[in-house]
Amino acid sequence: MPSEMDEFVATAREFLDANATRRSGSADLPEWGVGEDRITYFSTDPPEVDAAKVAESRAWQRTRYENGFGWVTGPRAYGGRELSTLHDLVYDGLEAEYDVPDTGVLSLIGLGMIGPTILAHARDHIKDRYLPAMYRGDAIACQLFSEPSAGSDLASVETRAVRDGDDWVVDGQKVWTSVAQHAQIGLCLCRTNPDLPKHKGITALLVDMSAPGVEVRPLRQMSGGADFNEVFLTGVRVPDDHRLGEVDGGWRVALTTLMNERATVGGEGAGPAARALSLPFLTELLRANGRLDDGATRRRLAELYADQAATEYLNHQAIRKLRAGTQPGPEASVSKLMYARNLTRGAHFAAEVVGPRLIADTGEWGTYSWTELLLSTPALRILGGTEEIMKNILAERVLGLPKEPSIDSRSPFRELRRSGTAGS
Amino acid sequence: MNGTGTGTAAPSETELGELRAAVRNFLAAKSDEHAVRTAMGSERGHDEKVWRQMADQLGLQALTVPAEHGGDGLGLVELGVVLEEMGEALLPSPFLSTVVLAATAVVASGDVAAAERLLPAIAAGTLTATLAVPDHAGSWDVGAGLRVTATGGRTGAVLDGIAPIVLDGATADVVLVVADGPDGPALHVIDGDAPGLARTPLRTLDPTRRMARLDLDGVHAEPVGDPASLTAVLDRVLDVATTALAAEQVGGARACLAASARYATERMQFGRPIGTFQAVKHKCADMYTRVQVADAAAREAARAVDGIEGAPAAGIAAAVAHSVCSEAFMAVAAENIQVHGGIGFTWEHPAHLYYRRAKASQLLFGGPAVYHERLLARVGV
Repeated sequence: MPSEMDEFVATAREFLDANATRRSGSADLPEWGVGEDRITYFSTDPPEVDAAKVAESRAWQRTRYENGFGWVTGPRAYGGRELSTLHDLVYDGLEAEYDVPDTGVLSLIGLGMIGPTILAHARDHIKDRYLPAMYRGDAIACQLFSEPSAGSDLASVETRAVRDGDDWVVDGQKVWTSVAQHAQIGLCLCRTNPDLPKHKGITALLVDMSAPGVEVRPLRQMSGGADFNEVFLTGVRVPDDHRLGEVDGGWRVALTTLMNERATVGGEGAGPAARALSLPFLTELLRANGRLDDGATRRRLAELYADQAATEYLNHQAIRKLRAGTQPGPEASVSKLMYARNLTRGAHFAAEVVGPRLIADTGEWGTYSWTELLLSTPALRILGGTEEIMKNILAERVLGLPKEPSIDSRSPFRELRRSGTAGS
Repeated sequence: MNGTGTGTAAPSETELGELRAAVRNFLAAKSDEHAVRTAMGSERGHDEKVWRQMADQLGLQALTVPAEHGGDGLGLVELGVVLEEMGEALLPSPFLSTVVLAATAVVASGDVAAAERLLPAIAAGTLTATLAVPDHAGSWDVGAGLRVTATGGRTGAVLDGIAPIVLDGATADVVLVVADGPDGPALHVIDGDAPGLARTPLRTLDPTRRMARLDLDGVHAEPVGDPASLTAVLDRVLDVATTALAAEQVGGARACLAASARYATERMQFGRPIGTFQAVKHKCADMYTRVQVADAAAREAARAVDGIEGAPAAGIAAAVAHSVCSEAFMAVAAENIQVHGGIGFTWEHPAHLYYRRAKASQLLFGGPAVYHERLLARVGV
């Protein structure tokens, strides 16, 4: 008797076969010494290449949506299938067997995090307007959360929104905004009442990124590319019906987004960096550098591989738990911590093997190209929640350790000292 | 998931939960810290009454013995639950030597006569047994020569030599010995009280796990299985044993984590619980991360060894688990002492017992240099 899941798999397989080409076997594994000598983590493509890739992403998302695979977990009213997270994972697993455009520009922030937030907190006509557009690939959404003075302490955002008739007028600066250069909408956390404690005076607004006063500037990161942005908001008018949740109730909205962020973490095992740090590729790296018989190098390779494999096993376990009906909790961040650690150690391991040819580009294949990954890995311990914040969450929510005594959760926001200057 | 499993169905979480609860309740009653310390100081190193009750009340020794030899025929997924609880309680017991090492070796050897003679008694809890692999390096490297030799024919051999470190070697009713014979290294079985066998209990780093030196001087032995398959037998035993040990290590690590989290919540310094300080809080989070990863590795290895559908190759998953769980338990046991501060360094606090168990477990099958190379060999590097 075919189960409901079997039927889902068959339908998905039929769709993929009709619309995409299946990869041949191990075509995904990079071959040592062959092809482009680049090991990337961030995209760092020139703007015209980047724009072409975004167009491909949108087109593939539209194909998915039109065939009912654009939003597997979403409500039918917005083109979804109303199936479980497990179905979503199963679909991703199937799709990975096919050669299709990467849709990260749409999915990582917009479809994975902002979509569910809009669904949970927006008014119906706003949902009608944006959700189908997003899941059809027309509207890319970004997350206007972090600010220069509000990183780990997100609740201390200073961007102001002041009520003016039926509108809000927004002024401030956001930073580290992924995909803002491509986005049609942004979910913005604004300070609406500085006389309340910091968590209680925030309002969440859905900003039209093409509105007057919105300026997106690329932010060049230490690895050389510009994969994030600064977003300056100057007198930007946002209609009140674009508010998510209550006035001054934006922190709850932000928590919905952040919870979905944690849920998307862990499915990060693929990508060029992970492939470069896979055992076959590293083995070739050692062979090419005459280190395959070196005991100390072998020990480090074994340690690295053991941790990579165990992290993969951890993800298998998470999927089994999903299958058994258990929703992932804060423990999912273990996977993120391990992922950052494995990639960081892997990059430094490769650097050690390559030696001085990593500090100057000799043109030799598979040597200087490791610099890009090496220069990208510090980000992994910061983005999506710093390691320090993740550890606080694990210790407090999972192990039940007491919170640090704080004064800033109770005092009015305007009385807090910020950025090293006394508040007035 | 690059599955190589043969398609065995996994046991349900409900069944595993019931098994865990039964074992946990039993150990809470029979193996609290006082009982562990009493067993530690006793001559045989374990409480024989508890061993019998384990068999009579819970049938734990029978769990993985094949059904045709009086057992339940279950796998490492179920056994892992039992060993995790035993590791958490630090139960001193000849379980690892008897049920894991010896019984697995007998089953893997395919020797029906030996299986009929030994396995029903092991399953019933009336026989303890162990396995001695007296290679020179202490890493199960039987190709490089053994310190025990076998002479004589296929029906009865005579063993001579030394097995320097044998788990539960002083108390086991029978000992399986790998000895160099005319056909190369081969498995044999001897009685624990055989004439010519001298058993010397050794001082041990971990007082909850006993070791002995065996001196064999013309000891009568029965061959077990075909020498031609010995390498395959020992590979299987090592996969099973390291997977079983991994579960036990996870249990031990979990006990350390729980102790640290509790202490960090209760211990007051500078007018607040020390767990409010991030230096301590992050240490606990790091311990939790290691435990979670080790737990996943141990479970994946158990599924792989059991041939459950979708699981990776047993040899690889077992080697990964052995490496990851050995290091996780060691790290967590050390950090547990640090979180406790001075009290954690005292004899009367149990932290050192876990620290001792962690290091002894890590080195039991050769240690880091050996298990890292073994892992690379299993993945073909």
